[in-house]
Amino acid sequence: MDNLIPRRVYDFLKQYPPFSLLSEDVLLPIAEQAAVRYVRPGEELFRQGEQPGQSVFIVREGAIQLFRESPSGPLLVEQCDEGDVFGIRPLLASEPYALTARAGEESLVYAVKVDGVRQILDAHPGVALYLAQTYAAGVGRRYSVDLKPQLFLGGQPAWGTADALLEVQPLEKSKAPVTCAPGTTIQQAAEVMSAEEVGSIIVVSPERHPLGIVTDKDLRKKIATGQVPLARPVEEIMSSPVVTVPAEVTMADAQIAMVRHRIHHLCLTEDGTTGSPVVGVLSEHDLMVMQGNNPAILIRETRRCKTSGELREIRERAEQLLEKYIYQEVAISFISTVMTEINDAIIARCLELAEAALEEGGQEAPAAGYCWLALGSEGRGEQLLRTDQDNALVFENVPEEDHEKVKAYYLELARLTTTALNEVGFDYCPGEMMASNPKWCLSLAEWEQQFSHWIFKPEPKAVMYCTIFFDFRPVYGMRHLGEALTAHIFEALDNQEIFMAFLAKNALQNPPPLTFFRNFVVEGSGEHKNEFDIKARAMMPLADAARVLALHARVPHINNTFRRFDHIASLEQNNRELYEQAADAYEILMRYRALQGLRQRSSGRFFNPADLSKMERINLRNAFRPIKELQSLLTTRFQLNLMG
Amino acid sequence: MWDWLNKWRAPVPEGPPFWEAYLRSLTARPAAKRQPLSEVEFVVFDTETTGLDPQKDQILSIGAVRACQWQIEVSDRFEYALQQEYTPVPGTVAVHGILPGRKIGNLPEEAALQEFLAYCEGRVLVAHHAAFDLAMLEAGLKKMGGGKLQNHVLDTGVLAQRVSPGHKPYGLDELLKVYGITPSDRHTAAGDAYMTALLLFKLLFRLEQRGVKTLGDLLKKPRKL
Repeated sequence: MDNLIPRRVYDFLKQYPPFSLLSEDVLLPIAEQAAVRYVRPGEELFRQGEQPGQSVFIVREGAIQLFRESPSGPLLVEQCDEGDVFGIRPLLASEPYALTARAGEESLVYAVKVDGVRQILDAHPGVALYLAQTYAAGVGRRYSVDLKPQLFLGGQPAWGTADALLEVQPLEKSKAPVTCAPGTTIQQAAEVMSAEEVGSIIVVSPERHPLGIVTDKDLRKKIATGQVPLARPVEEIMSSPVVTVPAEVTMADAQIAMVRHRIHHLCLTEDGTTGSPVVGVLSEHDLMVMQGNNPAILIRETRRCKTSGELREIRERAEQLLEKYIYQEVAISFISTVMTEINDAIIARCLELAEAALEEGGQEAPAAGYCWLALGSEGRGEQLLRTDQDNALVFENVPEEDHEKVKAYYLELARLTTTALNEVGFDYCPGEMMASNPKWCLSLAEWEQQFSHWIFKPEPKAVMYCTIFFDFRPVYGMRHLGEALTAHIFEALDNQEIFMAFLAKNALQNPPPLTFFRNFVVEGSGEHKNEFDIKARAMMPLADAARVLALHARVPHINNTFRRFDHIASLEQNNRELYEQAADAYEILMRYRALQGLRQRSSGRFFNPADLSKMERINLRNAFRPIKELQSLLTTRFQLNLMG
Repeated sequence: MWDWLNKWRAPVPEGPPFWEAYLRSLTARPAAKRQPLSEVEFVVFDTETTGLDPQKDQILSIGAVRACQWQIEVSDRFEYALQQEYTPVPGTVAVHGILPGRKIGNLPEEAALQEFLAYCEGRVLVAHHAAFDLAMLEAGLKKMGGGKLQNHVLDTGVLAQRVSPGHKPYGLDELLKVYGITPSDRHTAAGDAYMTALLLFKLLFRLEQRGVKTLGDLLKKPRKL
């Protein structure tokens, strides 16, 4: 019965980050030192400018509002509900409070002693990382070095597994070996194999050392053909010596051994030689199953696919891989690289199949080559789930008289390809931004003209197109056509600096919401909504800002939003921290969208705040902060307040 | 109407040393009637007993928290089970889960009551249906040669009726529900004391809204026995 009250505090704290990352023996003493504070409606817990006390707060029930005092009156910055941590300033620095905390309604908060939390920071990198992520501006980079943004999905976060490929982990399981003596008849051996449902049998000496192996292929080739009678001993047909590997072989090594010896079965022995007992058998099929969906295998298999149905299967296996990566909290840079490679391989295969189909139908490929461009999120290399396809085609300049014929061929190629992609699961773009649309299947000269037109006549629709087309990325075909186009765009931008301002203004269209409160999305105006559009309200503003900044700095070839931020961070030292936070925020958002999409089997674009866990709300809300700061940076840099 | 309270507070000249120490401690934490609500120091407590008759039944455990300035320090709590010999009435144990002879944080009854007095000093005592808990404590103290408790006493049941007059008297469970306090860990003295303290805060705020500003205002209505 002892410790009942701290236990109650503990039971609450352990549900919410960063406390959820702590074990009981660490958290219980923290609960023991907590105070329970009742806050009357309208009462202030602390005031902006006050020296911080000795506690940080977590809302037990009710609502605490954080205000920034300004000459025009208090400005609501944040609304904290159950489980939200606030007033963290004393933990970080002995600076005065930056905000005023006031109860919006009758509230109960737990005040947790700063000393207790500070003590655990060094021993618990997860807590430090969480605080760094949440309150980055105040923490400095000390705690965030080398730690990439995480969702804290619960369980053990996969520290350091970011780039660890499963391939190099030792294989743990191989089948118990099915064996027989050399004098066993072929008939008996075949019966054992079929009873055990295995494709091979190891012929062993009395010491269980492997002498040879008989596989179902041997049976088919040598027995079914009547070459050797069934009554003969197995040693007459076995392959010998057996290729052996040590029991603790890695997947990569096993694969290499099979490829090198052109065999489909490996015998595992104690010391890896034929001079020690057999401990297991590994078939190529086992290996495939164990590897599940290794990206290299998926990409290789893509090249063998003959139909869009087969490609769809590959893409679905890629999705399982994605799911695994997301739950293991593998670095998003790695995940997006893998998924983009797979998507690209699928697109390339669709094009190859389309080319072949046209040739079969008697339509010869024109002498003028082409390049397939991915646009939008696939262009940025950020398409984790199958969302709409956005693509375009550029072909080499051709003489006027051939133009129509060449264009007709490529339109047909694009039609076949987009249809195939649709069958793979990439929906048609509702805005028809696809290479099969005559407007977006153009020669290089036409494309150059098109971009110039957008840049020199920046009407709203043109700017909208730019946000999609400027992220183009050559995926298949003559990549130099893409390069030429980039060079042209940069040249045009040099002559039309005002265009950047239009692009920047477009990036401000969708300010992020203020926060989540209970089951609502709270807008800056205080309005509450039930649905959150992660793409429009959080991802696009970041992607748009990254694009403007990257184009402004004339950074070529980097389309990926977080890589763009990372790159700009290296160029602009004084805004480095903000750009790094923006990159982190984007990664977090990509994870959420993928996670939500996998859960709902949808594009993951829309969330109901009621469906989010506390941790998820906090993570998302934190991702809003750099967006707001970036938008004000763009406003200043491009003098957008003068634009009307 | 409440001059009997003042009579209570008249110093008792003699008694065992623990009782004299208690009487002296009253002046260490004087609860002045002009104190604003937020400065009043409360001890919110609860007892678990073997039954409902102060003359026959015994205290099994005492739980208490100090509440002041709308705050409770978790580490500053009082939580003792009392050692005793008795045969539990079947059913009582089922409610509060305390088994006889349990050795966790327990003290002989005398020591526990002395500790409790030292914990309270002159603070204002608060309990739900305080009359019963008070009678249980005083029955125990009497056996030890002590007298009546001299502290101001508040009953959250009575305060709740002041907040919503005309309502039938509420049990603690009902009130916790009405005031949205999650009633986990109920039926242990410490759990109930903690919950009662949260209830006290909510009631104090509501009374404050109605012009109750000081301890004196709070004590104006007599507690009903």
